Amino acid sequence: MLIFKKSIPRRSVLKGLGASIAMPLLDAMVPALAKPAETFKAPHRLAIVFVPNGMWPMDKWTPKAEGPLEITPTLEPLTAFRDRLVMVSGLAQKEALPQPGDPTSEHMRASGTFLTGVRPKQIKGEAHGGVSVDQLAAQQLGKDTQLASLEMSMMANHDLVGVCQNNLSCLFVNTLCWKNSTTALPMATNPRTVFERLFGDVDTTDRQEQLVRLREQKSVLDGMKQRAGSLIDKMGAADRARLDEYVDSIRDIERRIQIAEAQSDRELPKLQRPAGVPANFDDYYKMMVDLQVVAYQADLTRVMTFMMGREGPDGGLAYPHIGVPDVHHNISHHGGDPVKVEKLFRINQYHAANFGYFLQKLQSVREGEGTLLDHAVILYGSSLANANVHQDDNLPILLAGGANGRLKGGRHVRVPDRTPLTNLHLALLDMVDAPVDKLGDSAGKLDQIFA
Amino acid sequence: MRRNTLSVISAVLIGCLSSLPTPAQHSSSPGPSTSPLAAEAGHALLDRYCSDCHNVVDWAGGIAYDTLDFDHISNDAQTWEKVVRKLRTQAMPPAGKPRPDKAGYDSLATFLETRLDAAATAEPNPGRPAAVHRLNRVEYTNAIRDLLGIEVDAASLFPADESSAGFDNDGDILSTSALLMERYLIAARQISRTAVGDPTLRPSTTTYDAPVTGLQLDRESEDLPFGSRGGLVVKHSFPLDGEYRIRVRLQRTKGIEGPRIIGVGEPHELDVRLDGKRIKLFAMGGDKDLRPDQVEDSLEVRFPALAGTRLVGVTFLDDALAPEGMQRPLQAAIQLRGWGPRDDSMRPPGVQSVSISGPYNVRSNPDSLRRNRLFVCRPGAATEEESCARRILAGLARHAYRRPVTAADIDSLIVYYRSGHDAAQDSNGHQTGEEGNRFQEGIRSALQAMLVSPDFLFRMELDPPDARGPYRISDLELASRLSFFLWTSIPDEELLQSAAAGRLAQPAVLEQQVRRMLADPRSKMLVEDFMGQWLGLRTLSTLQPDILAFPDFDDDLRAAFERETDLLFTRMLAEDRSVVDMLDAKDAYVNERLARAYGIPNVYGGRFRHMTLADQNRLGILGKGAILTLTSLPNRTSPVLRGQWVLTNIMGAPNPPPPPDVPTFPEKKDTDFTQLTVRQRLEGHRTNPACAGCHARMDPLGFAFDSFDAIGEWRKVESDPVFASPELPVVHTPIDSSGVLPDGTKVQGPAELRQVLMREPRNFVYVVSEKLLTYALGRGLDYHDAPAVRKIVTDAARTDYRWSSVILGIVRSTPFQMRAPVQTEAHPTPALKTAALGKSPRLATLAKSAGTVAPATGAH
Repeated sequence: MLIFKKSIPRRSVLKGLGASIAMPLLDAMVPALAKPAETFKAPHRLAIVFVPNGMWPMDKWTPKAEGPLEITPTLEPLTAFRDRLVMVSGLAQKEALPQPGDPTSEHMRASGTFLTGVRPKQIKGEAHGGVSVDQLAAQQLGKDTQLASLEMSMMANHDLVGVCQNNLSCLFVNTLCWKNSTTALPMATNPRTVFERLFGDVDTTDRQEQLVRLREQKSVLDGMKQRAGSLIDKMGAADRARLDEYVDSIRDIERRIQIAEAQSDRELPKLQRPAGVPANFDDYYKMMVDLQVVAYQADLTRVMTFMMGREGPDGGLAYPHIGVPDVHHNISHHGGDPVKVEKLFRINQYHAANFGYFLQKLQSVREGEGTLLDHAVILYGSSLANANVHQDDNLPILLAGGANGRLKGGRHVRVPDRTPLTNLHLALLDMVDAPVDKLGDSAGKLDQIFA
Repeated sequence: MRRNTLSVISAVLIGCLSSLPTPAQHSSSPGPSTSPLAAEAGHALLDRYCSDCHNVVDWAGGIAYDTLDFDHISNDAQTWEKVVRKLRTQAMPPAGKPRPDKAGYDSLATFLETRLDAAATAEPNPGRPAAVHRLNRVEYTNAIRDLLGIEVDAASLFPADESSAGFDNDGDILSTSALLMERYLIAARQISRTAVGDPTLRPSTTTYDAPVTGLQLDRESEDLPFGSRGGLVVKHSFPLDGEYRIRVRLQRTKGIEGPRIIGVGEPHELDVRLDGKRIKLFAMGGDKDLRPDQVEDSLEVRFPALAGTRLVGVTFLDDALAPEGMQRPLQAAIQLRGWGPRDDSMRPPGVQSVSISGPYNVRSNPDSLRRNRLFVCRPGAATEEESCARRILAGLARHAYRRPVTAADIDSLIVYYRSGHDAAQDSNGHQTGEEGNRFQEGIRSALQAMLVSPDFLFRMELDPPDARGPYRISDLELASRLSFFLWTSIPDEELLQSAAAGRLAQPAVLEQQVRRMLADPRSKMLVEDFMGQWLGLRTLSTLQPDILAFPDFDDDLRAAFERETDLLFTRMLAEDRSVVDMLDAKDAYVNERLARAYGIPNVYGGRFRHMTLADQNRLGILGKGAILTLTSLPNRTSPVLRGQWVLTNIMGAPNPPPPPDVPTFPEKKDTDFTQLTVRQRLEGHRTNPACAGCHARMDPLGFAFDSFDAIGEWRKVESDPVFASPELPVVHTPIDSSGVLPDGTKVQGPAELRQVLMREPRNFVYVVSEKLLTYALGRGLDYHDAPAVRKIVTDAARTDYRWSSVILGIVRSTPFQMRAPVQTEAHPTPALKTAALGKSPRLATLAKSAGTVAPATGAH
């Protein structure tokens, strides 16, 4: 759990107005600080919450009828948010299907395809995928924030490196996010690392400490950029790539430092650096969610992807604390065994409850005229339906949030069978004003989901 | 040398393709020892056994012998190297087709090898590891340890490195991202503060968790006292002289009125030790109604500690009379599922986690400068500061950058020294006037910059400006290659000196250095890092066998597997045994837990001891629980996985990945309750010709191990289904561990199979050398490395394949000592070998009957 050292001051001085005005909690952090509150326009935000190994039994997930959303047994923990949810049924990922020449790695393809619509491949040992929807959003939404995007998963202490199933790189199940077809983005698993990613190498979110650190980093990076430059000059063109990457990384950080300095009059929630990964799964989960909410709240990033577990047989999670000591993947191949199916249902409902915690946190933070939940759109779901047979159509997909008035909740939308999931991704990109025409296997945009 | 006669088909092809650029001329001379007779015989063998499928009509596997020039083997080295592997491992012809006898296989392989090797000697291609090679996190951690004497936890500092070619030190894929760069900055600051003993360091907390399914019924470690039970011991780095706090959390269970600590019903004593000395003995429990906070709030001790890496142990005093290692069956399952004795308050308690926080009340120690190995000098007066700083930084940078430093290196570091010096603060965060602090902060600041410098983070090998062809790398580059190979770390002073003096490349000096480095404790990384990845042992820690099928598996057994293989490899290296001993060594290391799993009687206690095995089935790595478990599925054995593992890691002839549209293994379906064993269900492979080719090689190898279950315990029957569903009857089928290898050899059980594998020890040594060379170079191997690998194996054969001779062979090899400059690396590969067609009359006829043959690509 994050320890809030003190409550955020409710009274803060608006620069330029010369008057002390009572402010709603956290409004001091919106970007348009110098403008009066009425003209505040909330930024668009996108979040993706992924749950692994399908959603079985689907009849406890999908409502019977289209139209107004009926709360099904799996969704029961989300009852309070019924009006903020849109279920979309009928979507599929055709690129997850095996094709001639593919190894039998259904789970790898399922998670590698989820946000990209591109079949993951390994060419000469190197992992190839496609750009993912979150990264396309980040290209637009990340322009004004310190971090273009944030990638996190609950896989601390379950590190997987090297070769996974069928000699394929573990990369395909370690992350869902791809910056481009060859750069997969690692997911942070330790709350301490996430905190440091958001606030830097500081023990609290104290602004002064942060600025001192940033300046120190800046001077170190200046020198290193020069040094790398002089090394690059001595190298042949083919050898430079790795050092170019190093210089590019430095530039990224410098850009970030610039934004941070420009935003330095913005107040941050007072948090302490977490010690590490909590032993208790629920504590761990809450800490990771709290950090995500703070990242939105402080406008450090507007795009986040959160993997609640890793897809497939390699290094998967078990949930002994809810009475399911079995590794999730193993029982997802339930073979119709009612005991296993019941356990799967229990996991699904548990994930939904955890998702509910995220929604509730977002709703609790006011921003402008609404809450963070009103200003975000969140995609929740799994890349398989019945994992027992690696079913890749009729996927369990749920949207949440208001998308700044563009998403009307409380609905169940059924789309034609085997509509590509990427059609929905394109609609989401439209919703956050980061439109693109094509993503992976997309064939049109799923406009029905707009309010 | 005979000239080729061009066949009709080649004439046609040349006619079609005359507009193609002529392939680059490779010099090729037949080896001195190959007679025209051998060539003739070899060609006849190919014609008889191979050409039925590998011809321009069928293009089986993308290879057609009638397109290859048998007189200029080296022109098609890439293809012929594949052929050599297939011959050496007798992987072709496929099972069921006629195959040559052993002498036939050997003579053709030798013929090809001799020619390929001669060509490689005449025109070596040492390949090219990445010019800029980022340290991976293991190398970084070790470098920090060797540079500053500080242990850092890489897993908490850096994201895991991706791996390729089986290892995570492949320079071609070790990339740098902004995320990683931020982590480097954070690490550099933390490490530099610890290194100088920065008194403003704020307290931080590190939490160590005990494994969830560890039972804590035994003495857990040799670092814990006799008569102790459970708990854990950790190596913790204390950054400063000061006070620290240890907090202990205990295992709990869900009670009716909220969680309860296990075992609170009875009194217990909890022992906390620092470097083996007791610092606190807590009394706990004795009342089953105690809430967790009532128990744990008092489990906190504050104590003074000096800076350095120290052992912290937390354990219970053993109050039971049961001998070490006694475990009740189903214990792990009971613990995880919350069954077990009705009253959890009466079970033995266990440690869940230990948190260490600090430092508090840091003692600003004027002696820290003197004690700290970093400060090789102390400035007496302000005027001496900068010259002293230069001395300190020059010494550090020499090791961090792994080369003699230049004045420019030091000048750029001094800039950071000055800015740190001027900005120094005291422990209250105020600008400090104290010279000692300012000096220290200056050094810290320069060290921080050094640790994010490209000179530290990247191993760089630059082409000399005049390089035209392959060249010998410099002595300093050789020193780094050596130290990262044998120590996974930076060179030490002796190695640097020898390189800087230009002596390292001298064969005698090189050998002496390699032997010295192997004798150094740092070479244990060969076991931890190389072996761990090569055999896939690292994945052992993430495997979770099905708890209902294998209730006997727990973290203690997992840890025992890991420890056993570690100790075994360490012994093999220390005694400089033959590489082949890995397959049939009688050595074993067991503790009571492992001995019970192996069915070895009269072993008591948690200590691992060496023993000589009598059980033929357990000899070598193939009889060890670690390998047997990681080649199994969570709920059952997989002869396919085990077979492929043997093909890949022992024989060096892995099968290609399965073709598409393979029906998945018939697992139990909800409607299908037939009682078939794994073996019976795999029989389908034999009947389906699409499967038979590969499975005829894999399955019998795997079947031979089927007497070991999925966690490596010996069994006589397969029980099926295992706990699948209460209403199903359990059927016990006797294990059939017999099989027929593709060459007709019958094997039964692990011991017999091992003897068959031992007939061709060279194949195993070849695989080991290949893997070791891959690891040593930090790049994937290619066909042009095969001659070097063969030389390593052949040279090592003279000393019975001792580890040292293989390692020395790698160090002396062309790819290790040399490097191809960037411009000569790309060899143009002609799409079709127009000048090399049609040697065999029969093939020529075949080709003619097929009309114009123009496959799009020669290989796919």
